[in-house]
Amino acid sequence: MASLRISQVGVRGVVGRGGITARHVLDFGAAFATFLATEGPVVIARDPRASGLMLREGLVAALLAAGRDVIDLGIASTPVIQHTIRQRQAAGGVSISASHNAAEWNALKFFGPVGTYLTTAEADELLDIYHLRRFYAAPWNKLGQVELDSSAIDRYLDELSEVFHFDQLRQFRVVVDCSNGTSSRILRRLNERFGFSLILINAAMDGRFAHEPSTSARVVGLQLAPLVQPLAADAGFLFDADSDRVAFATELGEPVSEELILPMLSDYLLPRSEGKIVLTNLSTTSLNEEVASWHGGKVVRVPVGRNAAIDALNAHRPEQIALAGEGTGAVMMPQFRFVYDGIATMLTLLEKSAARQQPLSQLVAAMPRYSMLKGEVPLKRHRIPQLLELLATALGEGKINRQDGLRVDLPSGRWGDNAWFHVRVSQTEPFVRVIAEARGAAPQDLFDEVMETTRAHA
Amino acid sequence: MTKREHLLKIGVSGIRGVVGEFLTPALACAFAQAFGTYTGRGRVILGRDTRSSGPMLEHAVTCGLLSVGCDVVQVGVLPTPTIQMYVAATGALGGIALTASHNPPEYNALKLFNEQGQFFNHYERGELIDLFHQGEFTDAGNFELGTISQEFSTPARMHFERVLKCVNRERIRQRNFHAAIDAVNGAGSILTPHFLEHELGCRLEAISVDPTQPFPREAEPTPQSLGDLKELMKRTGAEIGFAQDPDGDRLAVAKPDGTLLDNDEVLALVVDAVLSRMPGNVVVNLTTSSVIDEVAAWHGCKVFRSAVGEANVVERMLAHQAVIGGEGSNGGIIFPTVHFCRDSYTGMAFLLDRMAETGLGITELAARLPKFHRASTKVGFQHGRLAGIIQATEARFPEARADRTDGLKLTFTDGAWLHVRSSNTEPLMRLSVESREADRTQMLLKAGTDILGS
Repeated sequence: MASLRISQVGVRGVVGRGGITARHVLDFGAAFATFLATEGPVVIARDPRASGLMLREGLVAALLAAGRDVIDLGIASTPVIQHTIRQRQAAGGVSISASHNAAEWNALKFFGPVGTYLTTAEADELLDIYHLRRFYAAPWNKLGQVELDSSAIDRYLDELSEVFHFDQLRQFRVVVDCSNGTSSRILRRLNERFGFSLILINAAMDGRFAHEPSTSARVVGLQLAPLVQPLAADAGFLFDADSDRVAFATELGEPVSEELILPMLSDYLLPRSEGKIVLTNLSTTSLNEEVASWHGGKVVRVPVGRNAAIDALNAHRPEQIALAGEGTGAVMMPQFRFVYDGIATMLTLLEKSAARQQPLSQLVAAMPRYSMLKGEVPLKRHRIPQLLELLATALGEGKINRQDGLRVDLPSGRWGDNAWFHVRVSQTEPFVRVIAEARGAAPQDLFDEVMETTRAHA
Repeated sequence: MTKREHLLKIGVSGIRGVVGEFLTPALACAFAQAFGTYTGRGRVILGRDTRSSGPMLEHAVTCGLLSVGCDVVQVGVLPTPTIQMYVAATGALGGIALTASHNPPEYNALKLFNEQGQFFNHYERGELIDLFHQGEFTDAGNFELGTISQEFSTPARMHFERVLKCVNRERIRQRNFHAAIDAVNGAGSILTPHFLEHELGCRLEAISVDPTQPFPREAEPTPQSLGDLKELMKRTGAEIGFAQDPDGDRLAVAKPDGTLLDNDEVLALVVDAVLSRMPGNVVVNLTTSSVIDEVAAWHGCKVFRSAVGEANVVERMLAHQAVIGGEGSNGGIIFPTVHFCRDSYTGMAFLLDRMAETGLGITELAARLPKFHRASTKVGFQHGRLAGIIQATEARFPEARADRTDGLKLTFTDGAWLHVRSSNTEPLMRLSVESREADRTQMLLKAGTDILGS
């Protein structure tokens, strides 16, 4: 597998060993400082990865050299950075975190003013500046200065406390797998300051990961789910390293597919929201459409990736949107300023449980069953256009969407109800990703056929 | 021919340049990576002076060191000698001081030290530059990356203890000297007043001791740049005045009337003080006054000469097991008992100790030194001219003894000398002359200047 990826998403890779070097960090930091249009400081934070210090030092040097003041939050989550950008009227921010990747990976994610991800056009511009390597250098007596801001997490919790009814939520007994990431620091403060009784596991922040910090039902099943019943907990939640995603297990200790999080939240938020649009990408479950239809909502699908989601958000008025999210457990909600936020998502699920007076297992059971199959094929032959054409011809009797690879929603019949497949090239790794889903049982035949064609061409 | 400004210089003295478009964080980081690749994985001490670009470069260098697997011990704002001594004292693999020493504030530089806390020697420097140019640095994987620790107070304490052990501290304290300091808002801003007031019991008049402010004067302590100290001396009646450069390795000394001692005289007084306690060999550079030879002769000691530059002096000192050395030309005093580096604190302590011991003021101590007349000048460097100048100079004075260690030094039978060389750090050629008579010195200066200007 390639160990370095420089793209619109930023820079991501294994640290050293042919992956991210100090030079990448300095150059991306300099490019970002050159890119920023508005005056103001840049907010940065990192997750607890061992390489975080090296990346921080390089990033800070580059920003200072470009005359930008730096507000360093230390170890803090991506959502905390995004809120701090807005609170401190910063020009932008950078998160040093490879979120769900393994411990030896790291990445830089960039944010504009107001704390949102860059749009596709902005991300393109940043990448062009990076490649051009003509970075702005401030004169020697106009360099920036570093400020350490240790109260950002508290301000973030204060904002959460204004959106959620903590007095309803702190009754829940919840086990949290912090994946040795930033949620450890934040949730410990939530316990201390607001009397929550979250039980934290994998809470050490020494750069070593007890498991891959990925928000999937599979990882939830490893260590977290088996603890829920013995601890008589109401739920188990698991966060990725920078806490923008979440996965969970019910009070019965059952890991729940991360795909269910967005529809479960739509079910709760759509009736309460003026906006009726659920924004998601082409790879998420069709359960989203079914749930939206219960509440007069409408699903708008865009290409996979944060930049595309931001483009779509910008194309609507904020009050039109009920919520937006991925199938990875990353959800953003208007009441919390459109920031992908795992902790806010956890609190919303608990709030739904309290409001419905139902345990999580019943909320999950209320969702119609959909079955999804996922596969990935290493990118070797690169005959992607031919692949997509072949699939569109062979299986394309349904609704075709070519915004991001090929998604075909198939008519009911041969492949089952609400069957669809999506084939696309990953933005972050050298893989072609294949997804097939149907209502009820898994569409194994469909999946196998698509995988076979993909293997022959990818 | 367009005049070339030395906005960036990467060479045997490390990397030095104007911060901004020239000395960039990427360059500093890469140089630190080369350094850490050279030292290998282990602890590296990192400190800086008070220049506004210090924090930026500190982050860039830390990044580079971490990335090649070095553990970074940040010591913050400290004088260069303190950093050098701390490297040696703690068994670190090396050290980096972020300081452009006496250069103007827009400059900064990486000064590099080996595990003995000494400037890299000729061979070490060559290898480091090769590593830098090859650009193949140690590739530390995730769990081999270095860590950062901070140690702000221990280094200065250790440094001062070493200096104070070599003088009679009580004798100095009892005198309660009325002293003045101009620390140029540099690395000595906090430590030097502490050293003089609390360690040596001086009544202190201090100016330019705010490390958060820019340099209020030219960074190099010269008669032209120390007008404020002179005024302070006259106003307060202080018995002795000290001035440092931004990284505290150079020392200038003022008399009660505010005029400065010649740097060669300062070195001579310290050499005298040291040799009176511990006779031994002395090493100074070729441009240092013959007053050193006379003072050494008082104690029956020998003087050896090296090329200009701290690293060169230290190399010769090691070879000759010298007890004291330095460079009169730039106010550097090297006392190996404390550490093999230029150290203004050693100078201050020995001068006050000598005053306490003899009961004499600094003016009287200086008056006892043999009189030499020195003069020097500098001209802009033009490539390719040095060889011709050397040949012309030697042809002009066939009767003199020639030394080609560093440019050309001609020594005449009466002890007078003339030295022409190119600067290590700036695009300049320097001419220095010395003799016992003012007329002869002027004659030599004019002859040398004519050759340079022709």
